[in-house]
Amino acid sequence: MNYVPGTASLIDDIDKKHLVLLRDGRTLIGYLRSIDQFANLVFHQTVERIHVGKKFGDIPRGIFIVRGENVVLLGEIDVDKPCDTVLQQVSIEEILEEQRLQQQAKQETEKVKMQVLKDRGLSIPKADNLDEY
Amino acid sequence: MSTTRRRLGWISMHTGPQKTPARLSLTLESHRPRLQHHHDHHQTPNLPLYAAPPLLPDRGPQYLPRAPPGQRGRGRGQRGGLGRGQMFEDPAVMRIVEGRPSLKSLDSAIVDCGNAMYLKTFEDDWMAPSYRKTRRISGSLLQDSAIVCVIDGRRGRGQHLTSNFLDLPYPVSSFRGRRGEPRGSYSRRPFGQRGPSQMHAPIIPGSPIFSRQPLTPRQHYNQTGGFMFPSNRPCPSTPQSLTPKMMQLRFGANSPRPSPFYSPSSNPVQHFRYPGPVTQLHPQHKRLLSQKQRVFHRKSEGWDPYCNLMTAKEKEWITRLQMIQLQSENPYHEDYYYQEYYRRIEAKMAEEELGIRSKREPPKLTTPYITKTDSYTPVVHIEGSLGQVAVSTCYSPRRAISAVHAVQAQGPLEEQKDTRQQRLEVLSKIERLFMALLEVEETERMKTTVLGEEEERRLMEKTQRKVEYIYSQLQHHDPLDSGGEFLPFLLVSKGKKLLTRLLPFLRHDSALKILRIVTSNLPTLMSRDTEEALPVLYPPLRNVIGGLTFSQLIGVLKDLTSSESLSTYDCLTLACQNKFGLSLLYALLSQGEKLLSSGVPLEPSIGDFETWTDTIFQVAAQLSQCSLVEPLLLPSNLLTLFCRYLDKRTVHQLKSNMESATGFLALPS
Repeated sequence: MNYVPGTASLIDDIDKKHLVLLRDGRTLIGYLRSIDQFANLVFHQTVERIHVGKKFGDIPRGIFIVRGENVVLLGEIDVDKPCDTVLQQVSIEEILEEQRLQQQAKQETEKVKMQVLKDRGLSIPKADNLDEY
Repeated sequence: MSTTRRRLGWISMHTGPQKTPARLSLTLESHRPRLQHHHDHHQTPNLPLYAAPPLLPDRGPQYLPRAPPGQRGRGRGQRGGLGRGQMFEDPAVMRIVEGRPSLKSLDSAIVDCGNAMYLKTFEDDWMAPSYRKTRRISGSLLQDSAIVCVIDGRRGRGQHLTSNFLDLPYPVSSFRGRRGEPRGSYSRRPFGQRGPSQMHAPIIPGSPIFSRQPLTPRQHYNQTGGFMFPSNRPCPSTPQSLTPKMMQLRFGANSPRPSPFYSPSSNPVQHFRYPGPVTQLHPQHKRLLSQKQRVFHRKSEGWDPYCNLMTAKEKEWITRLQMIQLQSENPYHEDYYYQEYYRRIEAKMAEEELGIRSKREPPKLTTPYITKTDSYTPVVHIEGSLGQVAVSTCYSPRRAISAVHAVQAQGPLEEQKDTRQQRLEVLSKIERLFMALLEVEETERMKTTVLGEEEERRLMEKTQRKVEYIYSQLQHHDPLDSGGEFLPFLLVSKGKKLLTRLLPFLRHDSALKILRIVTSNLPTLMSRDTEEALPVLYPPLRNVIGGLTFSQLIGVLKDLTSSESLSTYDCLTLACQNKFGLSLLYALLSQGEKLLSSGVPLEPSIGDFETWTDTIFQVAAQLSQCSLVEPLLLPSNLLTLFCRYLDKRTVHQLKSNMESATGFLALPS
């Protein structure tokens, strides 16, 4: 029951399983237990899901409180819907390792790119370093 | 050499004296950690507030502060096990969980790898299992006044939880009847004494409790609490039997709300109150809310022991806050989409309620839907431009076409103007006038909310002035009068929309003027109406027609049928082929019929009746011959009109012709 029909409200989402994407890129899945006027969220039985390629790993995190301004998007997960996905779940150690490798590879390509640009006298500021958007 | 080590994420505090050396791990950069590293003495001049251990002599190699795996949070510096009792006297520690060492080594932020401990399903006796579970921990836990309640499902105790009772506006839900438990054994008991027999209680709305299912911990004590004071509703905020101890504990989630709208619910049966008189809900909105309240639609999914941690009161509070944020002085300005949405719903419902009164009597304007195939041309080339036009992307948004025309360097002597320039002028003028029109409409809306007479008069004057301004601007676009009055604006679809919205504000003679312009230039308008925007003009023009006198009507009909280049026949043919034209024609004839049959003295001018009858015959001839398009509205008195002048056969033919166009039976004459 939407207490305020015609508007968007998180009250209907309470006690349901959600997936939230944070501004730092993390993906959390958990039961939304409480909210407030700033859309700060309290998650219960939270799991942080890391995706690398087609693999993913879940790290249980317990209770999470997310400050509202850090949320990029939030969506309800339909627990009844059959989950037929090509993604393959792996252990946490493995996924963290994969992630580390991915980050490493990315950093290396970035480094090479920056070097090449520097040689040509150009510099492109990275989006994540900018405060304004 | 000192090695400083920073611990991230753990703050350990301890209270009281200890025998063993204190270990502190601090996250604060400003403080050097106090470590008893085996080679050093460190005396930190500024110690943190929460611990002041004495500087201890070097004790040889000691373990660094790190809790052994399996325990998080340290109270004491002891290695090995910490007594649970000691652990729980530490106010920061809420719960102990065991974890897997491997994960902890990977990520220091991983706190809890164990399973949450659930409340087992109760059978009959609800208190006993919880007592069993909580006895171990809760004894010492709850002695600590900083801990109000344990959130992990072990609320078996009454004492610390009774503070919640008094704030509860929990209404009695209609689920009451569903509970299988006997309710007769309820009796008002003083605080702190709750027995197993007091388990049945009204249910918080929104929490689906079916018979014999266990409650969540929250509901558990909420229920008993709520149940305690069913007759004490009127002032739960000032409860009589609030003990001083419980007063202290009224903080946290159940503290009295600081909001100015905190008001206890006085009606126990009310499920959800509207958030106070301050919020302005659209009446349709209110209706929807009340409708939805009657519907309880929860799915009976697998029951969740942690559900409803957020109480209804809290939800209400947030909703209230959101409502307050929605308030505004000028809702149409600030919350346009909400207002528009509900206005449309209202209109739709009103229409449904009226039913199908007299088929199609209320005009149903169906604007034609044109499908344009969108083909993306990566390179856009505009005639007369130099080179390619920049296509806008998210990295380089294209500058919008500015319809601002440059001041002409050529003086008034210049005869020839660029057509594009002229069009831009017209467009920019339309935009400016639209702004003025929006203000007019807004003042109109404000009038309904205004109370004073003086205020209303002032607003009316303001409106009138603005309307006149718009009218005059539209009338004379060009001093040279190249296009005729109003015509340049009528040729632009937005101009048509502008006039549509302006017409209701105009006086009758001004509106009549516009009508005459439309009818006299009808062929031009129809031919140049590529976007088929003409139908928008129909409703206001119909209203104008409805106010015409007979001679005015005849004048308009003359305009319609006589054109410079086209014969009457052609004019009429064209009109019949066009939706708008045909509808206009029908409207005019209908008005004539109305006037004639009304019995009001018509005061016709000389030659009016002749023109009238001539027109009728011409129109009838047209209508019976050519195929008609579907009009926007088919007036019901047309056939009556034709019967008056024509023979039965012709009428019958007309009728079938008109019906085939519209697709339904006109009312029989």
